[in-house]
Amino acid sequence: MNDLLIAGGIGMAFGCALECAGLGDPPKLAGQFYLRDFTVLKVMLSAMLTAMLGVFWGGRLGMLDPSTFYVPETYLLPQLVGGLVFGLGFVLSGLCPGTSCVALASGRIEGAATMLGLFAGVLLVGLAFPAIESFYRSTPHGPLTLQHLTGLPYGVVVALVTVVAVSMLAWIAKREAAR
Amino acid sequence: MRALRPYAEPHATGVCLGLVLLVCFALTGQGLGASGAFASVASGVIAAVSPETAVHSAYFRSYLQDGSPWTAWLVVEIMGVLVGAAASAALAGRTRLTFVRAVRPSGGRLLAGLAGGMLMGVGAALARGCTSGLALSGGAMLSVGAWIFMVALFLAGFLAAPLVRRLWP
Amino acid sequence: MRLMRRLGFGALALGLAAPFVGGPSRTQQRGLDLDSIARAIDEGSDHVSARQLAEWIRDRRPGLRVIDVRSPAEFHDDAIPTAENLPIDQLARSRFAPDQTIVLYSQEGAHAGQAWVMLRALGVTHAVFVPGGLADWREEVMSPLLPANGSPAERAQIAELSHYFGGSPRIGGEQEGEVAGAAQTARGLRRRGC
Repeated sequence: MNDLLIAGGIGMAFGCALECAGLGDPPKLAGQFYLRDFTVLKVMLSAMLTAMLGVFWGGRLGMLDPSTFYVPETYLLPQLVGGLVFGLGFVLSGLCPGTSCVALASGRIEGAATMLGLFAGVLLVGLAFPAIESFYRSTPHGPLTLQHLTGLPYGVVVALVTVVAVSMLAWIAKREAAR
Repeated sequence: MRALRPYAEPHATGVCLGLVLLVCFALTGQGLGASGAFASVASGVIAAVSPETAVHSAYFRSYLQDGSPWTAWLVVEIMGVLVGAAASAALAGRTRLTFVRAVRPSGGRLLAGLAGGMLMGVGAALARGCTSGLALSGGAMLSVGAWIFMVALFLAGFLAAPLVRRLWP
Repeated sequence: MRLMRRLGFGALALGLAAPFVGGPSRTQQRGLDLDSIARAIDEGSDHVSARQLAEWIRDRRPGLRVIDVRSPAEFHDDAIPTAENLPIDQLARSRFAPDQTIVLYSQEGAHAGQAWVMLRALGVTHAVFVPGGLADWREEVMSPLLPANGSPAERAQIAELSHYFGGSPRIGGEQEGEVAGAAQTARGLRRRGC
């Protein structure tokens, strides 16, 4: 019960943040792919940076225990193909699963259409699962992380990711200022 | 019609979103998510309509084995997203009732939304996550799969964008 | 603009300082706690019978996670419903949530028992294994022998559980001969290695 209260609370904060950033607005999201509107990248990179640094420093200062946090398992090929298919759908609908809910909640009917499509999509995979199961389970690498892959210490990977992400954000800011 | 209030500064909002994700990790040990909720609901529907199909597919089974799919963590979280986004949009005067008032999207746009949703459903199911569950949460934990997914997503997005230019004038 | 710059510099500072402070979590080397293992084996809290597992699956015990440690090919051939395949070489790389009940099984049980020790070494204490493995599952759940001298209620219970998983119970006849026969077929089934 307590767990579900947390789920609801986190969900509300999540929805609120997405809405405030304007991620419930399909033309705005699609604008990212035409390099007209960089909101998606800005929000995603800042959020990821914050969480990554928070996890690292929270762990370092003894407030969190990152070793117990869930690391998504890596399945090379399914995730590569999944990402490509997902990206295609992203441009078509101008929404992603989370933001389709935000779009609907802020009164946009496109959100409902995308949610319906999402539902149909997972249903399709579930029904066709016996046929695609071998692909779904192919190239498993377990909960592989960048630090395991490269053999670098956690801190170094964090620094590298920070530098890359901040430079990207700085490049975007410069590009927008030049306009 | 009231003028729509502008959206918040994206970087600051991103930091807030990152803090929400961090709190989520601290409280539950897992990140945020969205596509999993759709998979749970789909599994629940299938189990109700045709239990045999549900047992036959390991995909549905995996969503049914931890109690009722209707009260799965992610489903409740998505309910929260709907409530939180609705409240935020209403308070900021950004609610646009396109299904009641003017600016109704064209049929083509809705169809594209439906098709896009379907593709994303398939993609998210294959990749075991979506932009929030895999790219954002997994990316923050430096998961290799999450980064591959993110790169593939943007690659496909940028490549496909010129083809569907008509949708987004 | 100023806020943005401050956020950027803050992130850079935190990020660039990261390599110089060492690992984020003091990784405690988890050794094998031999005493607690011996105790678990003594008490029998290390394993669960196939029939008990069947009841757990039927009752949708919350947090139950059934893991098949055989190869994907064997798993594909026949597996316990709701099980997921996690071959033994992938076990060490997997994560296990602390609130789950993990049930390991293999063809006959030896590999599952070894996997159980591996999980102990990884610090997972909430795992059990099925001693007879899939062979026991077939024998006790899919085609259980209804005891001829058991009470009707007991027989009905066993039959009902078997039917739930699509099995067909065998009726125990003149005990001795029948039981010996069953043992014979069971031995045939059990020949398949781990």
